[in-house]
Amino acid sequence: MTLALLLDVAAGGLLLGGLYALIAVGLNLQYGLMRVLNVAHGEFLMLGGYVTYLLHVNAGMDPLVSLVVSAPVVFAGGVAVHALLYRRLLKQERTREELEANSLLISFGLLFILQNGALLLFSADMRGYQYLDRPLRALGTVFPTNRVVAFAVAAAVTAGLMLFLRATLTGAAVRALMQDPVGARLIGVRVPRLHALCFGLGAGLAAVSGSLLSMLFELTPFVGLPYTITALVVIILGGLGSVGGSLLGGLILGVVEALGVYFTAPDLRMVISYGVLALVLVLRPYGLFNSMARRPGRAEGA
Amino acid sequence: MATSIARRTFLKLAGGTAAATWLPRGAAAQSPIRIGFTLSATGPYAVGAGITQRPNYDLWLDQVNAKGGLAVAGGGRRPIQFVEHDDRSEIETIVRLYEKMANDDKVDLLLPPWGTAANFAVAPVASKAGYPLIAPTAGSLKLKEMALPYYYLMLAQPDAMMLSLANYLKDVKRQQKLNKVAVIYVNDLFGLEHHTALMPLLKEGGFEVVEDKSYPLGVKDLTDVLKGIKARGAEILVGLTYPPDTILATTQAKAVDFNPPIFYTAVGTAFPFYRDRFKGSAEGVMGVGAWNPKVSYPGAKAYFDAHVAKTKKEPDRWASAFAYASLQILEESVAKVGLDRAKLKAHIDATEFTTVAGPIKFTKGVNTATPGMVGQWQKGEFEVVWPAERATAKAVVPKPNWE
Repeated sequence: MTLALLLDVAAGGLLLGGLYALIAVGLNLQYGLMRVLNVAHGEFLMLGGYVTYLLHVNAGMDPLVSLVVSAPVVFAGGVAVHALLYRRLLKQERTREELEANSLLISFGLLFILQNGALLLFSADMRGYQYLDRPLRALGTVFPTNRVVAFAVAAAVTAGLMLFLRATLTGAAVRALMQDPVGARLIGVRVPRLHALCFGLGAGLAAVSGSLLSMLFELTPFVGLPYTITALVVIILGGLGSVGGSLLGGLILGVVEALGVYFTAPDLRMVISYGVLALVLVLRPYGLFNSMARRPGRAEGA
Repeated sequence: MATSIARRTFLKLAGGTAAATWLPRGAAAQSPIRIGFTLSATGPYAVGAGITQRPNYDLWLDQVNAKGGLAVAGGGRRPIQFVEHDDRSEIETIVRLYEKMANDDKVDLLLPPWGTAANFAVAPVASKAGYPLIAPTAGSLKLKEMALPYYYLMLAQPDAMMLSLANYLKDVKRQQKLNKVAVIYVNDLFGLEHHTALMPLLKEGGFEVVEDKSYPLGVKDLTDVLKGIKARGAEILVGLTYPPDTILATTQAKAVDFNPPIFYTAVGTAFPFYRDRFKGSAEGVMGVGAWNPKVSYPGAKAYFDAHVAKTKKEPDRWASAFAYASLQILEESVAKVGLDRAKLKAHIDATEFTTVAGPIKFTKGVNTATPGMVGQWQKGEFEVVWPAERATAKAVVPKPNWE
């Protein structure tokens, strides 16, 4: 075991962590804004992956170029799902507990429908293609080229989202709504529109992740759920509703998993993930980076 | 895809209600023979089931029903009707469904599910109910030890399979001085049993084992493990893998530029899907198996062509032929002794069968006529490279670099 190999493994984990972060950011945006936990998040990811696969294999489109199709298509799907299922629910919301329970039921239903729909359309066969799968020699070691590219795109998209939230008026409205739903309404934030936008954005970000993941791993209609779980771990690590926290949480989880697996066995990957989660829940129950920790009362919603 | 769904629906209809209407006259009057099974349409076993068993069941159903049905000793031909379920790759579901098919539905015959763990779970159920079960996709010494009276293993079992691999590796060691072995195995009954069988043989062969690691079913990432193996200078990789991880290990070995002289993976390597997915990079990859249409067994080529015609896909180069052969054995036995399951058992126990997978003879429920074999992708065909008496080509070592 050399230091070089250790750094090599850690860097590999960081690359995957960037994707974890992107997946988690989308889920976090939905949860942070609406308090609806979308367990079908991974299914939107799966759909994005299939869009890219089909465009690449059937139309010869470059997987990276396909992002400009997969993201808007799934974004539109997300907006439609919001309009059909969540808008009514959010209107009728009485207590936060009721909303969370009902939204959870809806998204479980959505998960089964999307998974089985994909199964009917695409069958359970594994789908994959070779893309940039040559080794990239850098810093005295090798990295899979496609992972480096996927990481770069994921990082750029995450940075773009953070910029959007910080620098635009809509972004400010989103942040305001996250911090104080009642106050945001009082100053004229159009809540239903923002909800639709952010649900769509969450789905679109999942699709981008799925498109990127399809360059690395085989697709089946069932790839989604494990990523939803990873995303949940990440957002609890980083703090509910905190985009920056999700970014750091994703990167940390990626590295911890890679090193943990290297020193133990791949069998223990989930144990390691949940171990980190349990540790954080005990030591910092509001997440590692959540500013809400100082004023938990405000996180309660209307 | 949509077409395969349509085909499946059609087959169900064809096997069931419609059979009576479009089959040749004479068969129509006969009640169908109901044959029950589960195959995973969803979950981690779905890929293997859909490639190795499903197409052969469908092909056989078509062929037999086109002849007017299954010939039953003393009873003429009767059409076959499949009673089939998706077991969702869940062991409890598989067991429950087989119990239901045997005890409630009282089907005439049973066919096995896909995979070692699933077979391990249903073998006692079938044996208890007295249904012969001829399994083409199970490899387990525990199953062999259980010596269930009605259960038959078609494939070379872990001891025979790993002995063959170890003998081959010893041969390579003598000739090419390759010594450092890394072993990875899936934490499922298949991987565990083959691992248990292989490790003492490697030790006895004097190999240096530089890595020995298990990973879970459905693993997403092996890059770190492969990087470690590469850093330790492994010359031989033995992956006791299942289809999704076979693909994963190959993709990721390629991506971290790990190209050992011998790259051996298990279930899935022999799938045409593997060759089509990796194209030039498949060249020289070795795998568990093997079978190809060049073997000299009677009917092998005809079977290959019929499979392609029926499914538009080539059969996999290992267990597919054994899956079809298991149906040949069943067909021949029913023709000889009828549907009395005790008589079927006695016939299967006593007979040496001639099949597309070669001669098959069961000794205490295990096929002892087929040795363990090693296959290798060479120019688009999965050649049998070991043992010498079954080989269809010479092994290429070291394997060429990933394309």
